Amino acid sequence: MKSITVKILITFALLVSTNVIAQEKLHIEGSTTVGPVADGFAEAFKSMYPDTAITVNKSGSGTGATALIDGRCDIATMSRFMKDTEFKDAVAKGVFPVAHAIAMDGICVVVHPSNPINALTTEQVRDIYIGKITNWKQLGGPDTQIVVISRDTESGTYDTFETFIMKSQKMASNVEYVNSNPQMFARVQSTSGAVGYVGFGFVKTGVKALTVNGVKPSVQTIISGQYSLSRPLYMFTNGYPKLGSMTHKFVTFHLTEKGQEVIEDKGFVALTNY
Amino acid sequence: MDNIKSEKILKPAVVFEQPLVLTFTQDVKGFLFRYIGSFLLFLFTFTSVFAVLLIFLFVTLEAFPFLTKFGITDFLTSTAWYPEAKDGAEFGAMAIIVGSIYVTAISLVFSVPVGVLASVFLSDIISFKIRGIVKPIIEILAAIPSVAYGFFAVLILAPWLQKNLGFSSGTNALNSSLLLSIMALPTIISVAEDSISASGRELREASYALGATRFETMFKVVIPAAHSGIIAGIVLGMMRAIGETMVVWMASGNAAQIPNPWWDLSQSIRTMTASIAGEMGETAKGSDHYRALFMIGLLLLVMTLMLNLVSEYFLTRARKSLGKV
Amino acid sequence: MRITLDKFFTVLTGLAVMCMIAALFVILGPMIYRGLGAIFFRGTVEFRKMQLAEFEHGNIEKIKQEDIQTKQARQAVYNIIDKFRNGIDAEKLTDQAKQIDRTFGKELQLQDTERERYQELRGLSRDIRDKLIEAFSSTDIEQIKKHIDFVLRYESDERFRKTSAAQYFKLAHEFAQASEKIDFEKKDLYAGELNELEDIIVKLLGPDPNGNKPVLAQKRYGAARWDQAQKLMHELFWKEQWIEQENSKTLVRIETSRAEQFAGTELEPLFAYIKDNSKKMLNPQITFYWRYFLDDSTPGHYFGGIGPEILGTLFLTLLSMVFVIPFGVISAAYLTECSSEGPVIRVIRMCINTLAGVPSIVFGLFGMAFFVLFFIPFFGGPSQGCILAGSLTLAVLTLPVMIRSSEEAIRTVPQTYKEASLALGASKFVTFVKVTLPAALPGILTGIILSLSRVAGETAPILFTAGIAIGPVPDSIFQKTRTLSYGSWDMAVSDKLAAEVPHNQYGMVVTLVLLILCLNALAIMLRSRVFKKLKGH
Repeated sequence: MKSITVKILITFALLVSTNVIAQEKLHIEGSTTVGPVADGFAEAFKSMYPDTAITVNKSGSGTGATALIDGRCDIATMSRFMKDTEFKDAVAKGVFPVAHAIAMDGICVVVHPSNPINALTTEQVRDIYIGKITNWKQLGGPDTQIVVISRDTESGTYDTFETFIMKSQKMASNVEYVNSNPQMFARVQSTSGAVGYVGFGFVKTGVKALTVNGVKPSVQTIISGQYSLSRPLYMFTNGYPKLGSMTHKFVTFHLTEKGQEVIEDKGFVALTNY
Repeated sequence: MDNIKSEKILKPAVVFEQPLVLTFTQDVKGFLFRYIGSFLLFLFTFTSVFAVLLIFLFVTLEAFPFLTKFGITDFLTSTAWYPEAKDGAEFGAMAIIVGSIYVTAISLVFSVPVGVLASVFLSDIISFKIRGIVKPIIEILAAIPSVAYGFFAVLILAPWLQKNLGFSSGTNALNSSLLLSIMALPTIISVAEDSISASGRELREASYALGATRFETMFKVVIPAAHSGIIAGIVLGMMRAIGETMVVWMASGNAAQIPNPWWDLSQSIRTMTASIAGEMGETAKGSDHYRALFMIGLLLLVMTLMLNLVSEYFLTRARKSLGKV
Repeated sequence: MRITLDKFFTVLTGLAVMCMIAALFVILGPMIYRGLGAIFFRGTVEFRKMQLAEFEHGNIEKIKQEDIQTKQARQAVYNIIDKFRNGIDAEKLTDQAKQIDRTFGKELQLQDTERERYQELRGLSRDIRDKLIEAFSSTDIEQIKKHIDFVLRYESDERFRKTSAAQYFKLAHEFAQASEKIDFEKKDLYAGELNELEDIIVKLLGPDPNGNKPVLAQKRYGAARWDQAQKLMHELFWKEQWIEQENSKTLVRIETSRAEQFAGTELEPLFAYIKDNSKKMLNPQITFYWRYFLDDSTPGHYFGGIGPEILGTLFLTLLSMVFVIPFGVISAAYLTECSSEGPVIRVIRMCINTLAGVPSIVFGLFGMAFFVLFFIPFFGGPSQGCILAGSLTLAVLTLPVMIRSSEEAIRTVPQTYKEASLALGASKFVTFVKVTLPAALPGILTGIILSLSRVAGETAPILFTAGIAIGPVPDSIFQKTRTLSYGSWDMAVSDKLAAEVPHNQYGMVVTLVLLILCLNALAIMLRSRVFKKLKGH
């Protein structure tokens, strides 16, 4: 038992001693969707500014906003815009949130690749989600029940989907909910009758993205606005950051070539690309 | 060395030459020690009560504005859960509440018989040596993090259910309650087994001497004698199942509906914890939705409290009917 | 009848246990299998290059040599693709032609060419360029020949010799050669397919050595593991398609050979070459990556290990145990020894049970509101999430388990022990510490095992109080930390690349389970020792 304790202590000591005490700290908190971009930026910054200790937490857009308002983080990553209650809270506490749109994310309606259907209209998608269409047969597909999957109601993805597709109609009660893009991907990939929607970066082998209203989702159609199901991703700061500060470098990194490369690698559409 | 030892033994605990009367200071000291000591202990014990009270206070404070704004009737009786609808958000949590109870109940149906049988097996049937191996193995089940159970539910169990049982969706009530029962089992077994094996040897010997079989001994003598521990285990397991978040969030499908017909386990349902976990992080602090989620949390607390009351009631009744075992 | 029932019962109990053990294997088996892949695997040269560049492990000389060897083997792949590309990629060729025109113009300006001559040459150059571009974008072989012939007429022209314009003719020759082998009706199809192929090759062999260095580490290297490489090669050789069959309306998955698709073109030898030389290009070797448990990782856990995560989990778990064990045992002692069953005790017990039913996410929010924002700042600490706040939250979370199991343990200590001790004149306190507690130790250790497991695996309470996905290794308890549970959750919900490294995802989960087991093994060993002692008496 003693030897185990000693070993653990040695491990502790080894790991702690290799840690360089960082000069500047940057804490980023918020959305699980924007999180990967922050991860990528942090990775790039690690080699560019090795003295900066960047910490990233992904607990949700709302938590990110709260943390910014409480002064517990420097940058809040959000997949939706701040809500009025949050703005009110912020101003009451002397915090003035500034939004930096860093990338676009297209939202693609996906089905299992064995599904013969390739295109739907917004109306058809809506009918599926409100429970009017329950079988793929009704759309000319095979005779299988539709398993309707949605993202959780608070996510920015859901918000965009609701605005563009649902048009304030309410989803049927048998709609399943998943809490993240990877989960959605896993569910659609493994369920032959499933329909769902994921961020553009998750359209890959294993699911099939549908053409909506005759427009196929791609970088070009998203950036030109032809494909309407897209939304910006944000980073919020308290006031506009001081020029040259680490925070400023971080929230403007998407304007640089490297930043855009990161955004594309993480499966989003860079904003100033075209 | 020998000397010291013998000296220690020779020193009597009570010196009979002196009268057994305490001096006043000794008396006061004893009194103070007893009461201060027990008061200190009480304080320590009270931390958990304190924690519960704080959590209650915290949750109630966050949930209260919801109550004053929307009232409780719709919340409890409507099944329309549309917290983010742009016009006219609805907060009907009935389906969610039913879902929570439903999953927990079904997981108990699986886990209680298995748990009790397994603890009997561990305490009375196999040899001590094998028990020493098997029990830790079962405890490994408790060591698997809930995220891992969630992976298993989504990536392995759900496709399996779809393929082999013909469910249209594999993330459903059956999937989540199966996993919850597996998660609750180690708790149930650990606590129940400890109390079964602790209920004396004499009991068993008396029963066997009367010619009872092992089955009869177990069900008529040992398990009634150890009921307090078994129920404690079941209650803890049930609490684990109700309070479990990640697994149900990943495995239950999260459709806010009451299964129709009620025994159809292949339908997706949503639980209270999953609603909180899934929506809390993203929602704006202080919004109606945020408050509604805390309302669910409050309800969950009240429900667990009620469950405790019920189990406590049964415990005392059982204790009375048995006399004191 | 009774005997049958009894036998049946025995079998049933055995079955119950078997069921659980089976469940354990079903759940853990695949996880461990995949998780072990994080430590034992066939690492390619890319893996060793990555280790050297990112974590500074490995023999520099050896890896350099390996790199050179594999580069030689890979050159052929790039050559074949370049050759093929020259035949079809109109856009790239057009760019090249335009570039030549531009450099030629600059060259003339630098040479101070006379104005007339300059204009004449520029005009000619433009003509050649336009003809070439027309040829590149044409799909009619006769047209192409005509254009190319036009261009090549100037090849012997003195004025173009030894200038940059000479490259026009090289380009034309190459294109003419490539275009002979191409079915021009498939040109667009080829272009799309080629892009797909090149993507796979980048994933397999790493990015173009002459191009820019990608920002993210995950893009800087090719397939670091042989199993990944094999999967990619399968993708390279076989194209997945979903086609409609007559009877059923559901599409069926088939795989078509890409080699057949490109049959007769310059690209055809590529497939055979990769098939034969894959080992030369990647040099897979059996690797035991023990540093997985110590190494830091690149963000998103694409490469590297889980050292900081293990450390963070240990920190959090042990610290919360420090808080919960005394509180749990003392509470249990009070509940069993110092009090009679009364309403107060009943309320306390109820509270404890209720605490056990509070969902972990509420604990997380409570921990943030109470410990992070109030409790720790109250004592002068930072108002930030930190290890201390996380472990306190976890301690509260697991308190009921600790109390209930210790209570049961203390209660099961035979009354006779205590009576004997008390009769010998020992005080209540001494009796408890010296008699009851040791006798109850096995049960208390069970409680510790259960709560330890719970604490180490929880995600939600850490999410709001102590967890981060990326950050440096903490050097005090007032900093946030990465943990295994948070890390595996993070991998499960956020990044799309996590799906490409399932071994890391499962590796983390398995490490967590193993870590808990190691901690548990200690408790289990202690328990059995104490148990034996007790039985011996």
